[in-house]
Amino acid sequence: MVTHTNKPSLLIVEDEHYLRELYVDIFAHDGFEVDSAEDGNEAYSKMKSNEYDLVLLDIILPGMDGMQVLDKLVREKSVKLDNIVLLTNLSQDLVIAKALDYGVRGYLIKSDYTPDQLLNEVKSFLNNNHA
Amino acid sequence: MFSNPYVTSFFMVVLFFNMVLTLMVYIRNPKSATHKILGLLGMTISIWLFIFFLSLQSFSQTTSLLLIRLSIFMATPMSTLFFLFAYTLPNTKFHIRKNELLLLIGLTGLIMIMALTPYSFTSVDIIDGTPQPQAGPGLIPFGIYVLISTIGGVFILYKRLLRSDGIEREQLKVIAFGIIIMYGLLISTIFLPVAIFQNTTFVPFSPLYTLLFLVLTSYAILKHRFLDMRIVVVRAVVYTLLIVVVVVTYTSILYGISLFITGGETNIRSSLIPMLITITVVLSFQPLRQLFESITSKIFYKDKYDSQDVLWKLSRTMASTLELRELSHGILKELLSSIKISYGTLALIRSSSIIWVDSAGKTHDKAFKGKDVFTVIHESYKPKSQDEQIIIFEELSERKNDIKDIMREHEITIVLPLVVRKELIGGLILGEKHSGEIYSSDDIDLLKIVAHEVAIAVRNALSFEEIKRFNITLEEEVKDATTNLKSANKRLKELDLLKDEFVSIASHELRTPMTAIKSYLWMALNQSEQEIKQPLKKYLDISYNSTERLIRLVNDMLTVSRIERNKIELNNEKVNVADIVQLVFDELKISADEKHIAFTFSTVEKKKYFTKGDKEKLREVFQNLIGNALKFTPEKGSIALRLASRGKILALSVTDTGSGIPQEEQQKLFKKFSKIEYSYSKHSSQLGTGLGLYISKQIVSLHNGTIEVQSEVGKGSTFTVLLPELIS
Repeated sequence: MVTHTNKPSLLIVEDEHYLRELYVDIFAHDGFEVDSAEDGNEAYSKMKSNEYDLVLLDIILPGMDGMQVLDKLVREKSVKLDNIVLLTNLSQDLVIAKALDYGVRGYLIKSDYTPDQLLNEVKSFLNNNHA
Repeated sequence: MFSNPYVTSFFMVVLFFNMVLTLMVYIRNPKSATHKILGLLGMTISIWLFIFFLSLQSFSQTTSLLLIRLSIFMATPMSTLFFLFAYTLPNTKFHIRKNELLLLIGLTGLIMIMALTPYSFTSVDIIDGTPQPQAGPGLIPFGIYVLISTIGGVFILYKRLLRSDGIEREQLKVIAFGIIIMYGLLISTIFLPVAIFQNTTFVPFSPLYTLLFLVLTSYAILKHRFLDMRIVVVRAVVYTLLIVVVVVTYTSILYGISLFITGGETNIRSSLIPMLITITVVLSFQPLRQLFESITSKIFYKDKYDSQDVLWKLSRTMASTLELRELSHGILKELLSSIKISYGTLALIRSSSIIWVDSAGKTHDKAFKGKDVFTVIHESYKPKSQDEQIIIFEELSERKNDIKDIMREHEITIVLPLVVRKELIGGLILGEKHSGEIYSSDDIDLLKIVAHEVAIAVRNALSFEEIKRFNITLEEEVKDATTNLKSANKRLKELDLLKDEFVSIASHELRTPMTAIKSYLWMALNQSEQEIKQPLKKYLDISYNSTERLIRLVNDMLTVSRIERNKIELNNEKVNVADIVQLVFDELKISADEKHIAFTFSTVEKKKYFTKGDKEKLREVFQNLIGNALKFTPEKGSIALRLASRGKILALSVTDTGSGIPQEEQQKLFKKFSKIEYSYSKHSSQLGTGLGLYISKQIVSLHNGTIEVQSEVGKGSTFTVLLPELIS
């Protein structure tokens, strides 16, 4: 459907393997260059070594959680956070406020979206980015 | 022979001194029967002496006869009073039966009347200017009466002397000494010479003899308050001197005037009436008397204080404060400086303990022991006794030596009980006076009033302290309650935060499977539009599993809620843990076999492992632990269940060969929504709820047991349930 000369790169950080599997399938099928991570540590090292057009970051993760990953990146000032969108089922006002304060692009509640709705959300984030 | 005016003057002065002294003794304590009788006795003796003296003068025959009869007339009540004195001493109350008293008075009156009749002395001859009376038969009953009453009195005194001890014995000894001297001298220098030789040389000295008796007797009565005696004697001396001075001045002036006017001699006898009037005027002339009193006070009593002033100052001190410390300091300071006392102690007691001790003045070398303070204070107050409520060292019998020893040891002179509404609340303990003098009865009277006032003031101060303490206690209680409320409030806030956190975590946990269900059902519903052709069954399987997980989650959350609200009820009974484990083992054996896991259950001893508990709940705990082990142990691993008894404690250990749990994660294992499960989730198709271990631990805790964990990453984990063993 979308014809990009360069495929947009996407990192999906999701510990639930059913969901991770589904999201990877959907975005890959739609022409994304998809990478995935199942915990905080993996996400951190992938974000350090690669540059993604967009990162979908879960918050509740084993080992280092999503907020700890953000904290670490903010401290190091090495990676920009404006390509990160939080994709989580946690709705804790303080956490959301803190993340937005760090400069993340957006915040999505997983259970609010069907796979196609999620796909559209991600695309609109990417389009705004390029605009 | 008594025309000699010097002899006459001497006689009159000593006689007068006799009278003043007895009057003073009476005035010191007019309510005491002993004082009264002694005063009366002294007065009678003085009158008798005066008449006796006159009877030896040369008057007309008729006058002489009357005077001689009168001397016998006065000698009779003298004997009666002596007997009564001996009988009453040292009591303050007069104890004699009415009949006996009437008999005594009747007999005395009879002999007195008879003395005035010719039966006593028929006539009198004047030989060489000295009257020589002729004795009549009436003298015999008189003699007998005098002899019996005198001997009776002496006998009573003697008997009392034998029975007495301490201060009373000393008193009686002195009185006896006075009597012996008086009678000895009267008989040897007056009675015998007059009767046998008609020698009246010593007659003018007779008042001296009686004076000796009176002084010694008065001293004996007042001995323990020696200062009283000093006051009495000094006052008597001063008054006598005053009279002498006035009389001499008056006589000289009269003599001078008469010499100038008449140029002739004056008769001393004729000036007797004006002289007596002068004496009366002098004695009753208040300003003059006061002047003499103040002069004597200045000379003889430098320690004298004004009782009114002391009382006023003390009242002011007591009214000025309600603080016990200030009050006792003030009272002691005022007392010590006013009455000039070496030291004082104010002690307060409650039931059988001392609650307050304050001392002022010279300090002791020896510590004034609490027990001693208590003993003397208690001794000073006998609620049922009519006696004086006070202890004076000098008045204590040596028989009561324990108290006296304590007082001697601590140099205590007086102990005054502090009594409020018949309740002993403490005592005022005083040392000796700086002057070394004994406390006078004035001092004692003052101290009694002071003790009464101090008792009330102290009682008030104690009540005030109690109110203050109560206030402090109240304040503390309010403070404590506030602190408790604050911490409760803080705890509530913490709990509120925890609840918020739980709600958001719980909703996260619920949303996770719901997201999976929603997403996969969407996939199933929109399968035709998808170019990827995953089998429909897979989508439905995942949805189904997620639904199952959702149900488990809701159930577990309800259980957690029940546990946390203490609403969980254990159906406790005696259960064999081995049976329950066997049940779970059999249940899970199939799953283990499917994963080719070596699954074993062994008991250390062939016995029954009893505990008191809820069979169903314990089964759930074991299912959870063994289920976890199955979940996280890879294929061809092993799980070993071991049940053992470790001295009153049952231990079921579940050892797996899973991937192990890092040390830092072990701490979080038993918390709600522990995320450890996620790390292993890839090994299992059945996701946990994150609440299982928390619930298991709580249930085991309700059984007074616990769950321990040991684990090494890469090797495996051992969960051990410890439960108290029921020994039948």
